[in-house]
Amino acid sequence: MKTPPLILALISITPLLNAAESSDLPADQVAFFEKNIRPVLVQSCYKCHSEESQKIKGGLTLDTKAGLRLGGESGHAGVTPGDLAASYIYEAMTWRNEDMQMPPKQKLPDEVLANFKTWIEMGAPDPREIKAVASNTGGKRVIDIDAGRQHWAFQKPIDKPAPAVQNTAWPKGDIDRYLLASMEKAGLQPNPDTDRATLIRRIAFDLTGLPPTPDEVKTFIADQSPDALKRIIDQYLDSPRFGERWARHWLDVARYGESSGKEVNIPYPNAWRYRDYVIDAFNTDKPYDQFLREQIAGDLMTFDDKRDQAEKIVATGFLAIGAKGHNNRDRRQFTLDMVDEQIDAVSQSMLGLTLACARCHDHKFDPVTQRDYYALAGIFLSSETLFGTHQQLQNNNPSTLIELDREAGLPSALAKISPAEVAQLKQQLDTAQKTAEEIQREVFGQGRTNRTAAQGNVAAGLKVRAARDRMATVEADYELFYPDGTPRTLAMGVLDRNSPINSPILIRGDIKQPGEIVPRGLVEVLCAKGEPLNISQGSGRLDLAWFIASKENPLTARVMVNRIWLHLMGQGIVTTPDNFGVMGLKPTHPELLDHLAVSFMENGWSVKQLIREILMSRAYQMSSTYNAKNYAVDPDNKTHWRSDQRRLDAEAVRDSMLSVAGKLDFYPIDGSPVARVSEGRQGLFQLAREVAANPSVNRSIYLPIVRDQIPEFLSVFDYPDASLVNGQRETTNVPSQSLFLLNNPEAISIADAFAKRVAATEGSPMDKLAYAYSLAFSRAPTPDELTAIRTFWMRFPEQVTGGRTSKEARDQGQLAALSAFCQSLFASAEFRYLN
Amino acid sequence: MTIPNPSRRDFLKTTSSGFGYLAFAAMAQQQALKAAASSGSPLAPKNPHFAARAKHVIFLCMQGAPSHVDLFDYKPKLKADDGKSAPSNAGRNGQTKLMGSPWQFGQHGKSGLRISELLPGVASHADDLCIINSMATDIPAHPQAFSQLHTGTTQFVRPSLGAWVLYGLGTTNENLPGFVTINPPANATRTFGSAFLPAIYQGTKLGGSGLPGGGALARRFGMGNDNSTVANIKNGRYSTEAQRTQLDLVQALNQSRMKLDGGVSAEVEGVIESYELAFRMQAEVPKVLDLSKENAATKKMYGLEDDATATFGKQCLMARKLVEAGVRFIEITNGNWDQHFNLKTQLEANCGAIDTPIAGLLTDLKQRGLLKDTLVIWGGEFGRTPHSQGSDGRDHNNKGFSMWMAGGGVKGGMNYGATDDYGYEAVENKMHIHDWHATVMHLLGLNHEHLTYRYAGRDFRLTDVYGTVAKEIMA
Repeated sequence: MKTPPLILALISITPLLNAAESSDLPADQVAFFEKNIRPVLVQSCYKCHSEESQKIKGGLTLDTKAGLRLGGESGHAGVTPGDLAASYIYEAMTWRNEDMQMPPKQKLPDEVLANFKTWIEMGAPDPREIKAVASNTGGKRVIDIDAGRQHWAFQKPIDKPAPAVQNTAWPKGDIDRYLLASMEKAGLQPNPDTDRATLIRRIAFDLTGLPPTPDEVKTFIADQSPDALKRIIDQYLDSPRFGERWARHWLDVARYGESSGKEVNIPYPNAWRYRDYVIDAFNTDKPYDQFLREQIAGDLMTFDDKRDQAEKIVATGFLAIGAKGHNNRDRRQFTLDMVDEQIDAVSQSMLGLTLACARCHDHKFDPVTQRDYYALAGIFLSSETLFGTHQQLQNNNPSTLIELDREAGLPSALAKISPAEVAQLKQQLDTAQKTAEEIQREVFGQGRTNRTAAQGNVAAGLKVRAARDRMATVEADYELFYPDGTPRTLAMGVLDRNSPINSPILIRGDIKQPGEIVPRGLVEVLCAKGEPLNISQGSGRLDLAWFIASKENPLTARVMVNRIWLHLMGQGIVTTPDNFGVMGLKPTHPELLDHLAVSFMENGWSVKQLIREILMSRAYQMSSTYNAKNYAVDPDNKTHWRSDQRRLDAEAVRDSMLSVAGKLDFYPIDGSPVARVSEGRQGLFQLAREVAANPSVNRSIYLPIVRDQIPEFLSVFDYPDASLVNGQRETTNVPSQSLFLLNNPEAISIADAFAKRVAATEGSPMDKLAYAYSLAFSRAPTPDELTAIRTFWMRFPEQVTGGRTSKEARDQGQLAALSAFCQSLFASAEFRYLN
Repeated sequence: MTIPNPSRRDFLKTTSSGFGYLAFAAMAQQQALKAAASSGSPLAPKNPHFAARAKHVIFLCMQGAPSHVDLFDYKPKLKADDGKSAPSNAGRNGQTKLMGSPWQFGQHGKSGLRISELLPGVASHADDLCIINSMATDIPAHPQAFSQLHTGTTQFVRPSLGAWVLYGLGTTNENLPGFVTINPPANATRTFGSAFLPAIYQGTKLGGSGLPGGGALARRFGMGNDNSTVANIKNGRYSTEAQRTQLDLVQALNQSRMKLDGGVSAEVEGVIESYELAFRMQAEVPKVLDLSKENAATKKMYGLEDDATATFGKQCLMARKLVEAGVRFIEITNGNWDQHFNLKTQLEANCGAIDTPIAGLLTDLKQRGLLKDTLVIWGGEFGRTPHSQGSDGRDHNNKGFSMWMAGGGVKGGMNYGATDDYGYEAVENKMHIHDWHATVMHLLGLNHEHLTYRYAGRDFRLTDVYGTVAKEIMA
């Protein structure tokens, strides 16, 4: 494989010219300050003399123009423009005064002192004032970690006994007692139980993302045994459809995508391995703590065999799949942005905290310091994120991938090719390499005069670049296969670097303003007082993994049980599922949340067990019917007096339509269509053409998720931005959805398939109608509906045939009516809203 | 399959219920409008924070960064020092040569604004233009700056200007979307996206590169085709009459569902409303976008008869029609302004393609009395360097560039702010993109500091913690 990218030495940071801020100073003076003065202040003075210092020494701050001029507690002016003698800082720097020598450990080099002299004499031009105003960081806020720990979410959950209720007959378990207590407090009555057809439909959608089959409905309604409910729940939990449904919820918070997104959208052909890992994890009910640990540090964990090892490496794809700006010309900036994205994804998805807010300053609201941020950043900077892609125009930041052991036996998205084809690729590579070398020689061989002729220079540069890019493209293709033509198993993921690095605090998040270096470590407020924060070995990812996936962590279990609750009950107990910080909303039922969190952990972090517990509650099984009295008191259903009416998410809408039409192909596809298009940007064109030509009939989770190019079927029903952590989808109700269901050719063709299925069933027209209803709605039509359908059938065929009465025309009219009828079922509110 | 013939009694009953629904729908619609005006629909018109100068925006977005020193920023000293080494603050100490604009800057209108000879049509409206010469943005790279131009940030996914405006003001024509973006570049959903704002505030695409079918260059520079329409606006199978029959069935099923739900369901009601709007849009959108009924003089005015100007002309004409129909925010993207080389021919060609259409748009808006309520904005993501790149090109320059506004309550015939003698850097009344956003919102009656949306636990706004309104340009 390609050579790994250079490890970036963050510490050697070259200050760049930054003359933009000053509008009134001569540019050359600003440049002088930026080049010769600011870097020295930053590197040698800010640690003790800036607003960002842990403790400001001598009352002197040098990070603003005002502070620099004013001086410190001594009362002497720091710098007086044009007057060296009245510039006390300069005197301290020269070490002439034995009582005041700065910086204290080592005198600055003579040329630096000469620069300060020149600068003060030219009037000490200092452009920083404007910048300080612009950054608007406000007054310095000192974070009190002990006080911060008092926030409810930073205290460990405690499972208290469930409250007593008046109506003791209603609750089936503790969940019901917590909810009923709050209803009784508000003077509300719980809604009655829902009917069994609605209940099985609710369960089927919640667990599999699909409607129940008519047979399942019939069996469930007929089965009056006390175990019937548990049986149907277990049946769905054991179905492979469960993982396909619940993995999608996690992929939302994992901001899963198969391309880089952002400025230059480059495909990530190997992202699907992570997707399949998540599906398997939910299907096998992998303990949630283990699941998290593997995503952060699977590569560092012990393993049973090669397959286990490979799967754990694939899990770290979580850290590699984020959106990235590949065209960034500054590799260090690219890396820092990527680390920021990783911190954001880990903290929001797993902890419900917005730690990335502390990149430029201490967190504005939560007790999280910039120091916490850079302690975490050090962990990720000490890891190498391998996301693939190759050098090409607009991609200045490619990386290698992780090659998994051939014997691990993981599937491949690519078919085997013949050794001859591999040889052919090799030959193409050699040719491309030779061409690139020749062009380079040709261009660099030209005389300097020739080359600097401006246009020639640009054109020649582009020519060299194009040849190299071509070579990189062919090389990427070649490296997909072993010499015998078997595709290599490549994965996105993370590995530790050989030598870990600690990050400096970057003042205002600016790479050009490094401050104090902080040791790699954990988030202080989440650790018990006095507990060591620093990591024990390597990058520290393993420590981080155990720190997050721990019973001691007050957030992890709470955040996940809230996510699960949200998907089953319609709204979270904490309604800001990705923010449990001070600015997040408080739980509506804090004790219930804690009860669920504790029992989740006690049950071995089993997601399926928690789902079972919630589904078996009476609260889950209530009807969603309107009740004027309750509604008047609690319109938002905060007390959960009824089941929420919930809109199906995009995948469930599409999968249900295909399923009802009998078209859904459950056979999981190998990899992803993204894996089979060429790696460069042209791959996206190719993909769009392929997808348009052959609409997929696989479950939606297997559709290609190219950022900013989400399939229309999904985007129209509020598929989230695939670049952001998203614990709760929008559920809009907009005309573009109506237009889609009425007019989109794919939607119409699925309706046609549904009509065909209905037409082929045995029986009378009424039987057919009932069959269509049972497939689409899991119930029989009401008399009102039958009337409306008859009205439709009287008018519609004629409107289609335009009065033609031949048998052919009449058949055509009936066929059209059946299709339009089936489409109407898809289009109706009932199909999209779960009761 | 056939359904048994209904009895006569059934027929009467069903017929009445069918027509009954239509009557219900009409009634419901009026009620909905009334309800919307008070609080209901997220798109309902909302009162601005203070009296608005402009009610609509047409943003003519020139992707690729047009050269301000060749179009709107007159620099005699640059001309005088043509060929001299560029000063050190140009970043490439002495290695580049200043290049005076090869074009003349005549004075135009009563105000005598200096505008390049490349844009005679625009120049004829000089007295309506407020040329801002002191624009600045953070990063001299196209994607980041393009993102900042639209969302205020170079890095994050945030709502676009149009989405914020729609969120703040709603819209007045319930038959049309409130934010329309014509010919947006692909891979730039961020420029019309709603990010964390509800999806209903995002821009509706007309034409452009929804699918990357226009070739890599077209994609990069936003030169899409011009078959502009709303996705799925047309049913390819059924007549309108037949579709209405189908829709009556859908609505009857929805009514039935509502009844089963206990008679009240905001969700089902929302579905019912959304179908009616969609159905109305099917009729309205093609009508608004049908340019064939425009008279010959109008077509000529927008340059529809000339191949060079027809594409942008059509888009400008559509923009006028959308404004007329009540759409709040319209953006048109015009690409390929990135003249690193071939400045002389390419800039001339670009200007040739937009000059007549823009002049036509301004004239047309004015004669229809729409200009006073419509803020027309022209500009790109940054400007270009006063020194040359090669012998016939200019490099990126984010420190100083020009945009202009017209109508919508801005002062005409004025220059606002200035760059240095060569046009490198804004030195007077610098207007950063954040300030520009604040100013545009102010013209629409919105206080950029008060228009916030709570997301992930904090209040976000378009201008983050920045933004100063340039009150001097208000008429």
